[in-house]
Amino acid sequence: MRQGLVVQGLSKSFKGAPHPALEEFSLSLAPGSCTAVLGPSGSGKSTLLRTVAGLEIPDRGSVLLDGQDLATVRPERRGMAMVFQRPLLFPHLNVLDNVAFAARIRGVPRRRARADAESFLELVQMQGTGRRAVTGLSGGQQQRVAIARGLAARPAVLLLDEPFSALDPELRSAMHELLSHVREQLNPMVLMVTHDRDEASAVADQLALISEGTLLQHSSVEAMYTRPVSLQVSRLMGGTNEVPGTIRGGVHYSALGAHALPADHPWAEGPATLLIRPERIIVLEDHNPGLPAVITRIRARGPRRLMTVEAAGVTLNAEETTCPHPAPGDTVRLQLPTSALAAVAPQPTAETSALISPTPKVPA
Amino acid sequence: MFLPETEVLITRSRPKPRVPGALLAVPAIVIVAFVVVGGSAMVTAQSLGLMPLVGRPELSTAAYTAHGGDLLVGGGLSLAIAGTSTLLACLIGFMAALIMMQGRWCGKLVAAMSSLSIPLPHIVGAAATGLLLADSGLLARVFGTAERWPPLVGGPWWAAVIFEYAWKESAFVGLVLAGTLATRSVDYEETAALLGAGRLGRLRHVLLPLSLPALMTSGTIAFIYSFGSYEVAWLLGRPYPEPLPVMALRLYNSVTLTSRPEAAAVAVVTAAVSLCAVLMALAFLRKIPLWR
Repeated sequence: MRQGLVVQGLSKSFKGAPHPALEEFSLSLAPGSCTAVLGPSGSGKSTLLRTVAGLEIPDRGSVLLDGQDLATVRPERRGMAMVFQRPLLFPHLNVLDNVAFAARIRGVPRRRARADAESFLELVQMQGTGRRAVTGLSGGQQQRVAIARGLAARPAVLLLDEPFSALDPELRSAMHELLSHVREQLNPMVLMVTHDRDEASAVADQLALISEGTLLQHSSVEAMYTRPVSLQVSRLMGGTNEVPGTIRGGVHYSALGAHALPADHPWAEGPATLLIRPERIIVLEDHNPGLPAVITRIRARGPRRLMTVEAAGVTLNAEETTCPHPAPGDTVRLQLPTSALAAVAPQPTAETSALISPTPKVPA
Repeated sequence: MFLPETEVLITRSRPKPRVPGALLAVPAIVIVAFVVVGGSAMVTAQSLGLMPLVGRPELSTAAYTAHGGDLLVGGGLSLAIAGTSTLLACLIGFMAALIMMQGRWCGKLVAAMSSLSIPLPHIVGAAATGLLLADSGLLARVFGTAERWPPLVGGPWWAAVIFEYAWKESAFVGLVLAGTLATRSVDYEETAALLGAGRLGRLRHVLLPLSLPALMTSGTIAFIYSFGSYEVAWLLGRPYPEPLPVMALRLYNSVTLTSRPEAAAVAVVTAAVSLCAVLMALAFLRKIPLWR
């Protein structure tokens, strides 16, 4: 019976490193799920993936796949395939034989292995390229073939180590579509690491945020954005609005006034920082109801504009919404939807943040 | 469906400034051509009787047939010695490269020993091998079995000669392979392992194919050197039959001045066989996708 992948208390240190690559890291993946481990460079993402794959031996902790401890299982017997940042296609084999590699290793006759490989090439929209040399493919095509090769090994877990980070934005979007397509077709269990929030949100059901080898939060994509468990999580997820105050009876009191917090969670009483993402603040023209504020700065972000506003002595960042021609100095009205609010402890610790914010969800 | 229009093939056909590059190579080409083409032409002419020390030039193949039987036997012997020692050098060198790639203390030790072997001249290696393997040598004395010691030096199997070449050339092959594998082997090995390949599978399906071009080129160089050098076989081999380079040296140093064309004929045959080996190696390399 498939129970998924469970990582328990994984710790790993490298000689000379200032802090452990992994520190008591625990994570659960349900069968068929896609979890993205998100974190800045050097946070231990790749070490986690390599340890799960058996390429690194952990100092402590265990990796269980469908209930089996993999501590003594060699990488080649773990039933995992990894796609790296570089495609690493074998240069001495053509496209088809690269995809057929795992089958050939298992002793499948060449003709059958190649026929099987053709079907995986078709899955990644690379049909008809089997006879070509891998060096003649573009970066995106090579990464498609690498994914096909990994899938053709029929792994219990597909590990993706920033596989699209070297591709241009257009190609990355195409690869995200491809991954969704593959998931629809084969429903593999996927563990992916990336430092790109948008990419993680685009491809994964669950996010695990890691920093300095420690798991900060594991939750759904939406919860990661709207219910961060700490200020650190909020900041790593791009949150910039932090309003100090106090919670009493499910209402946050601050310089901005009283704001009811979402009723679907029991918010702990006491000092707390109110959080709201810039894109969730509604900015309206002055004649509308809402919190009065003055625009102090406007910055262009491609097609969007990021406004800095001052409301009751509090500086907030908001993305322009309905104002037709905002300019610095204009008076506007802000609305902070209750569903978009969250609160965390002002000085986050493992204990207090757990008391104030929702417990990270672990997939069943 | 998901292929964006901008995803295009990488083409290798970039315009290259050929003329300036060729001009830069001219000095080297002139020197090499002078030595190789000039030397080969002179030796060939001498072997065909066109440059006699005494008498009138006359086109003749007599130098090739003067020692016809010995030339064939010597050629076969040289091929056997060079072939066996090259095979051993490739096997040992490949294993040494794999050990070096592990990066542990034993790998570093093997790399250091290989690096030390390279600057030692073959003549020194041959003398050391003789002192080590002869029936009066160090090993025979250490084990106290001089009477029953096999004839490794000067014996019928040319064991000491093959040993010396294999030792020296395996260091060369090992370092060349280690340099080739260093840039790529770890990543490809890990990829292969995660696709289910065990150690032997990785060796057979990944490391060996990745090493093959470097193995072929370094092996060919080792073969040609072993085939064409005389000093090791001259010091550690038997007086008869003679490998081609030893025969060429003896004939060239002969008091009989008319032996010079015969020495040249042996040298021409040696060079021709070496050239054939290079052409065969290149033909084989062209079939390897990685080389292409």
